[in-house]
Parts: sequence; structure tokens; C-alpha cells
Amino acid sequence: MQVKAIQIEEVTIFLVDGEINISTSPDLRKLFEKQAAKKVVVNLEKVVYIDSSGLATLVEMLKKMKSQGGSLGLSGMSEKVKSLFEITKLDKLFSIFASQEEAVTQVK
Amino acid sequence: MKENNTKKEFLVPSDLSQVQRVSLGALSFLKPLALNEAILFDIRLCLDEALINAMKYGNQLKKELKVRLSIEYDQKEIRMLVEDRGAGFDPKKIKNCTTGENVLRGHGRGLHLIHQLMDEVRYNPKGNAILMVKSLKKSLL
Repeated sequence: MQVKAIQIEEVTIFLVDGEINISTSPDLRKLFEKQAAKKVVVNLEKVVYIDSSGLATLVEMLKKMKSQGGSLGLSGMSEKVKSLFEITKLDKLFSIFASQEEAVTQVK
Repeated sequence: MKENNTKKEFLVPSDLSQVQRVSLGALSFLKPLALNEAILFDIRLCLDEALINAMKYGNQLKKELKVRLSIEYDQKEIRMLVEDRGAGFDPKKIKNCTTGENVLRGHGRGLHLIHQLMDEVRYNPKGNAILMVKSLKKSLL
């Protein structure tokens, strides 16, 4: 998995490419903690696979943002990845957007 | 379990870095079935979750303790058995990760995903082995 952070106005976008799994989810968490952003979008367009540890990492990120009065949105997830959010009812917890542009607008 | 071209067994040390290798090896074994990408995703995810649970909670990540994955298929279904060396657990005591405060928990979704994505899930009486079954008739639709 590769992840990098870019800035669009006051929103930090995490661009994730690859799999968020038991081996790679710590890398996403480390970059998130390093950025210490208040407004975040995690772009999942290029995420081809996610396991429960990946879901847990995103939940921890969301909890941290909420506790600090920040906001977090997810964008671009595939139908398969979205189905996992639905199965685990995480679709009710997260703000999920079809596109990065929409997510950035809402998170600002 | 005897190995032939529809049965295979993996013995893997309780090392989380081995999980992907084993689950992808299992998918490779299933190649003759020509399953679609969505089904392969589900099978791989359930294998990963079961292997991780076996290594982490069953074998306490002690590398010298092995996890056994037995996988076989016939015309009807794919059967995957994951067994650890631990004391076992009671699946009825696992909290539902989709209700109330549990949705916010940092862990506990693996078994739920397995139960939702597989057609049948069974545990041995001791609770240190999980059998996951995927119906081929449904999978090939």
C-alpha cells in the first residue's frame, strides 16, 4: 500500500493506493497521526482490498477527529468495499462520498 | 487430510506477515473453479480474518504454534477449515459489532464479516477451529 497526503485549501486528503490490511493499516495510521489535520478526506478510489484491521484503523481515525472537533469523510470507494461498510453498519457512522470533490466540499 | 487436486493443506507459523501468502496460495489453489472477482474477494477476506484470529487469539502470536488451513472443494461447495492450538472460545460470547456502542469498537468485526460472507459457518466443540463453507451454485450465478 502507498499512501500520501496532499492539501486542498484547509482539507488534508489521504490518497490510498493498494490494500489496507493487517500489514499495511499501521502505515495509514502513522501518516494520519503525523499530519494531525483537522479536516480530512480519505480517498479510497485506488483501494482494492480492505480487511477488518483496515476498517478498525478508519474507525480510530474517525474517533480521533470527532474528539478533536474535526471532520472526516471517505470518498471513491468501490462497490465491494462499500458493501463491507454496509455489512458492518459503518456506513451509518462515516460520511461517504462518491467523489473526492464532493467530500472536500462537505468536510470544509 | 489427504491432498489431491481438490484438497490442500497449509501449516503456517503464527506470524501475521504470513497471512497474505497463505490466503493468496489458497486462492491460487481454487483457480480451476474460475470464480468471479467478487467471490474471490469474499473468500480471501474470510480466510484472512480466520487466519488472523487463529494466530492472534488462538495461538497468541507464538510463532512456534502452527495454524492449519485445510481447503477442499467439490461440485457443490468450497470448504475451508482453520484450526489453531489454543484453548478455544465460545462464539456465543462474541459481541455483535453492529449494535450500539460496539460499532465504534477498534476490533471485533472479523467474525461478523465471515458470518455475512460465507454460506455456512461452524465451530468445533472446543472452539479452536472454524469451518467456512461457500456454496458454488450460488457463487457461480
